[in-house]
Amino acid sequence: MFEQLVGKLPVGIGIVDESFNVVYLNDFFLDRLPHELRKNYKETPVTDLFHGQGKFLKRRLKSVFVLQHPSFSYWEQRPHIFPFKSSRPITGEETQMYQNMEILPVKDKATGQRYACIFLQDVTAQASYFRAQQKLSEALKKEHEAQRKLIRKLDTAQSQLIQAEKMASTGQLAAGIAHEINNPIGFVNANLNTLGQYASHLISICDGVYSHIENFNDELNEQIEALYQSNHYELLKEDITELIEESTDGLTRVKDIVENLKNFSLENSEGVQTVDICTVCNQLITLISAQYSTPQYKFDCELEKVEVMGNPGPLKQALMNVMINAAQAIDTKGVIKLSVQESGDRVIIKILDSGCGIPAQHLKRVFEPFFTTKPEGQGQGLGLSVAYTAIEQHQGKISISSKEAKGTVVEISIPKQPSHSKVNSSESVTEPSDIVQEEV
Amino acid sequence: MSIVLPLDEEQRDALQELLNISMGQAANSLAQLIETKIDISIPKISAVTPTQLYSLLFETEDSFYTRQSFLGDVHGEVMSVLSRAGLTEVATLMDYDDPLSKEDIQEIILELCNILAGACLAGLSDQLELTTNLNMPTLFQPDKSNFDDLKWQHSLVMEVQFVIAISSFSMRVVFCLDDESLARMKATLDELLA
Repeated sequence: MFEQLVGKLPVGIGIVDESFNVVYLNDFFLDRLPHELRKNYKETPVTDLFHGQGKFLKRRLKSVFVLQHPSFSYWEQRPHIFPFKSSRPITGEETQMYQNMEILPVKDKATGQRYACIFLQDVTAQASYFRAQQKLSEALKKEHEAQRKLIRKLDTAQSQLIQAEKMASTGQLAAGIAHEINNPIGFVNANLNTLGQYASHLISICDGVYSHIENFNDELNEQIEALYQSNHYELLKEDITELIEESTDGLTRVKDIVENLKNFSLENSEGVQTVDICTVCNQLITLISAQYSTPQYKFDCELEKVEVMGNPGPLKQALMNVMINAAQAIDTKGVIKLSVQESGDRVIIKILDSGCGIPAQHLKRVFEPFFTTKPEGQGQGLGLSVAYTAIEQHQGKISISSKEAKGTVVEISIPKQPSHSKVNSSESVTEPSDIVQEEV
Repeated sequence: MSIVLPLDEEQRDALQELLNISMGQAANSLAQLIETKIDISIPKISAVTPTQLYSLLFETEDSFYTRQSFLGDVHGEVMSVLSRAGLTEVATLMDYDDPLSKEDIQEIILELCNILAGACLAGLSDQLELTTNLNMPTLFQPDKSNFDDLKWQHSLVMEVQFVIAISSFSMRVVFCLDDESLARMKATLDELLA
């Protein structure tokens, strides 16, 4: 009865002697032997019966006989010790059986003969389930990673949007102020002109009186002379014209700045249009030099006009962000040079400063959003990343090179005519395939 | 360690001697199988808390860890710490072909633990006339926080170190017994001493 029971057990049981010859096999093993071998398998080396991991099996059997201690093997490390097919030959996905093996030392009590007993477990179902789980968890991990990337991208886009909005509202504010200032400047300017004329009239009157001085009597003469003296007429006459001229100059400058501010910020004309880079650069220099007066500004362009097709708002903002960085890099003395060149169908804008430069380890990160070396609260680390996005939208390139304590060069290259297909096609491509899928 | 050992001095000495003999047998078995000389340290016997057990075992850098439970007259677990260094030489001695795959390495680790822990346990239970059956070893990646949450207060640990002379490989085997088994072992030791 015991023999029957052992024979029918759903695990493989095989017994080998010390020369690795098979003494007994249960049905689990026998069912998987070729027909012609089933009758006379005894006294054959186990490695001859089952070609597979012979070397491994011998090693493990040896260890069991030497140490008289069980040995284990798992499917994870060694899935197929015996070359058996899966127990599901028709429907199974696995073609080979996954096996766990245990070899035990046994001893015949009557003869004292030592044997090794091989237990073999079919764990194909377990293994394939485990592997499926693993695949699933890997797929999940990948998906998770992709999502995280997307979220990071969204974060960046959002903060750039916030920044852009801030700039836009600052611009509107500036435009409002510029408009308000324009009115008083108008009448101050007009009044100043009239004042200049009145002053020259007054001076002619005084001069006229003085030239007829000998026609008066001595008493009057003395009184007039004293009046001129006490009011410092000579000084007054010399200074008044100069004062008025200086004031007119100053006023003209204020007018220029306000005008530029208006032009620069009141850019509600969204969309692609012709932009003259030279005008933009000149406006920029006026604007930025008003705020940062330390550096010397130079503009270098051989052409009168360099026109590109682009969106003026983002373009100006990009250039402005780069220029502000350049201006902030100069502490006490230095030069900022803006140069514009045409090169084939592209325009190259270089912004060079002789400022403090950027350390090499920071250089590759300057376009990253939120990267800043300024103390907290003084910079958001968005300027260059906004510039980068704006230039990329124009299918351009922005690159930066810098040497510490020497200065920095930012080179921007944009096509004069961006290929329109790219700008407007983002939505139209995906739609047809969606429709097809719906129908299926 | 401030905790009083659950064993008295006589019991401790006896156990240490028995361990010494069984460790020697284990080292011999392995030496025979891989045909090289193996040195063993003097076994250490102590009582530890879960946190102490964690630092005793798992704060070793560059190591593999395994665990293996045993049942029978006494119940407990064997944990092993194997150095990464020198494993390739041992693999060659064990007749594995270069280069080793990840699976090969796992298999070697498990086999080494099984042989050494098995031999130690077999030797010890032989001398104490107890029956024990060792289960399959598994790779183990311990987590410190889990150790802090363990239910038991103190455990008797027996620790021994094996060093393979010709390579830089070393391995520590630590036996832990549960309370009931400890009582049984104490009784057996007393019988032997009487």
